[in-house]
Amino acid sequence: MALTLVGVSHATADIDIRERLAHAPHEIPLTLAAVRDATGAREGVLLSTCNRTEIYLVEGERDATAGAWSALSRRLGRDASPYGYVRREREVVKHLFRVASGLDSMILGETQIQGQVRDAWQIGRAHASAALNRLFQSALLVAGRVRSETAIGHGAASVSSAAVQLAKKIFGSLQGRRAMILGAGEMAELALECLVAQGVRTAIVANRTYERATEMAARHGATALHYDECWSRLADVDVMLCSTAAPHAVVTSSHIAPTLAARGDRPLCILDISLPRDVDPAVGTLENVYLYDLDDLRQLVAATVDHRRGEVPSAERLIEEEVESYWSWLAGLAAVPVLTEFRARMDDVRDREVARLLRRLEHLPESDRETIEHFSRALMNKFMHEPSVRLRAAAANGRGLGIVDAVRYLFALEGERAADDTSVETDR
Amino acid sequence: MIAIAHSFAITLYLGAAALAAAPFARPVPAPVRGVTTLLGLGVAAHLLALLDFVRTHGQAPVSGLGPALSLAALLVAVMLLGVELIAREVSLSLVAAPLSAALAAVANIAGLSPASMASGVQGAWLAAHVALSFLGIASFATGAAAGVMYMVERRELKARRFGAIFRFFPPLDTLDRVNHLACLAGGAALTLGVAIAVAYSVEFRTVNLPQILWGMAAWAALSVIALGRAIGGWQARRAAVVTATSFAAVVLLYVALRVTGAADGGFL
Repeated sequence: MALTLVGVSHATADIDIRERLAHAPHEIPLTLAAVRDATGAREGVLLSTCNRTEIYLVEGERDATAGAWSALSRRLGRDASPYGYVRREREVVKHLFRVASGLDSMILGETQIQGQVRDAWQIGRAHASAALNRLFQSALLVAGRVRSETAIGHGAASVSSAAVQLAKKIFGSLQGRRAMILGAGEMAELALECLVAQGVRTAIVANRTYERATEMAARHGATALHYDECWSRLADVDVMLCSTAAPHAVVTSSHIAPTLAARGDRPLCILDISLPRDVDPAVGTLENVYLYDLDDLRQLVAATVDHRRGEVPSAERLIEEEVESYWSWLAGLAAVPVLTEFRARMDDVRDREVARLLRRLEHLPESDRETIEHFSRALMNKFMHEPSVRLRAAAANGRGLGIVDAVRYLFALEGERAADDTSVETDR
Repeated sequence: MIAIAHSFAITLYLGAAALAAAPFARPVPAPVRGVTTLLGLGVAAHLLALLDFVRTHGQAPVSGLGPALSLAALLVAVMLLGVELIAREVSLSLVAAPLSAALAAVANIAGLSPASMASGVQGAWLAAHVALSFLGIASFATGAAAGVMYMVERRELKARRFGAIFRFFPPLDTLDRVNHLACLAGGAALTLGVAIAVAYSVEFRTVNLPQILWGMAAWAALSVIALGRAIGGWQARRAAVVTATSFAAVVLLYVALRVTGAADGGFL
């Protein structure tokens, strides 16, 4: 039973390669079926996101990498192998655990990948059995442990999430808060989407070109205002987001200071995401005004990424533990068919010998015959117990394959070499 | 038994504060369950100590400096535990748990032995006054702790520093609400405590000037904050500054009364 991974990711291929290899959910079963047919692989799961396309396989009698590469190459229109990588055995387990935990993501510690791994497993369930089912379940558990036991997913890792994090640090929840967006460009619209997603209740869009403000406001259920009218509404606003294309500061203390008295002690969070800056830095010195520009947001993102990097060794330790645990289970799995056949063979011998004996002892009453039958089973169970326990243990601690082969040779168990996956109870 | 349980409670309060500070050493999520468990165990040990005090001395721990301070420490810890369990937020332990531990430690040093106390109706009246007053002061302390944290975090946010305080302190709005609710609860409890004290003085013709001075000062401070919030629209920084500074002033007044010997052998 050999685990193999063939894949392409953001670390090895540019986006133009990755986007051609990416699979829509409905395409995944077809590719998996084709790869399994071509390679004789027993199991397969295909993980496809915008940053990676990876095929996880449990090989059959022959190497599956060539077949997997040819499936990817057909999709790409040329040889895909220079853009990717191959992992085998334990490295496959470690790789998937790192991927699911966000350690191999473009944005370290991002959480979306965990759901994508779960989806990949669900879509490929028809092609997965004991080994890959357990592998993907373990990956999801490891990812959960990494997120709860380390701070790898903490903080804001993008400018928009940093803006939301800053506003939340002042107001707690943004549910029901009021926001004003200055500008109606692409960045302003993205920011408005973020704020609305966080539950901001009343959003006001103000722009020099009123028609653009109206269009944007209509798309997001906000209210449009003429640029010159917005200052009168500032007293009601909690968050002000500035993203205009003005070449100089358009928000100064003279705009903000007069509204402060009407606001009482309520804080005002101003997020200036334009370059050149829209807000005069002196505004930040006003009482109860919290002003942040792009540099601050980037500084927050950088601090988050630094902290996440500091968590990587702890995450790797957790992953190493779980790789060991999965690998022990997988190695133990290799012993199961051998043990089953070994026991069947011994039981067969016992049956024949007991039958022969009982033919010679036909004069015995039925109760004595049953006692002999019972004794023979008990004796065989005693003989079989220790070898069974030791075989499982040896398989699990990594010395297994040689011992399993020795048992096969000594007891002439050549019938079924491969693991019978369907005989193994899974956690499905 | 009293001293052992008391010391155990102090250790657990300090343990809760240390655990709440753990995220500052390493960026892990705040261990809410761990902190509240330690705090809860501390409250239980403290309660056990004071119940043993009641059993041993046959009176509530409201007379004598040591018992009264210990009761105040217990009330601060109970308030803290309540706030943290409701808010699922344990950073308040950074300030309030050491405050509880310090009060309990001073109580230990002063000695956990009772002063003479009136019995019967007069004793019950006095006990109600002391318990309500301490509840008010404990709430005031919680509000002041939230106020101090608000000012520290506000300074970091204004200075655009995104360090440990930014990551692990609760949002300013949460601290402001804790401050508001604690001051309201403290104001209500202290008002009742003062009313009972006035009635007690009239009924039993006893007047303790230092007590009146200190109690009225604390009550006035809380009343000013409550009025400022209700009428003056105070919130955020202004409320935090007033709460923290007025609490510090009330503590200083207490120290001054004790140092100058104006107080008798009791709490005051």
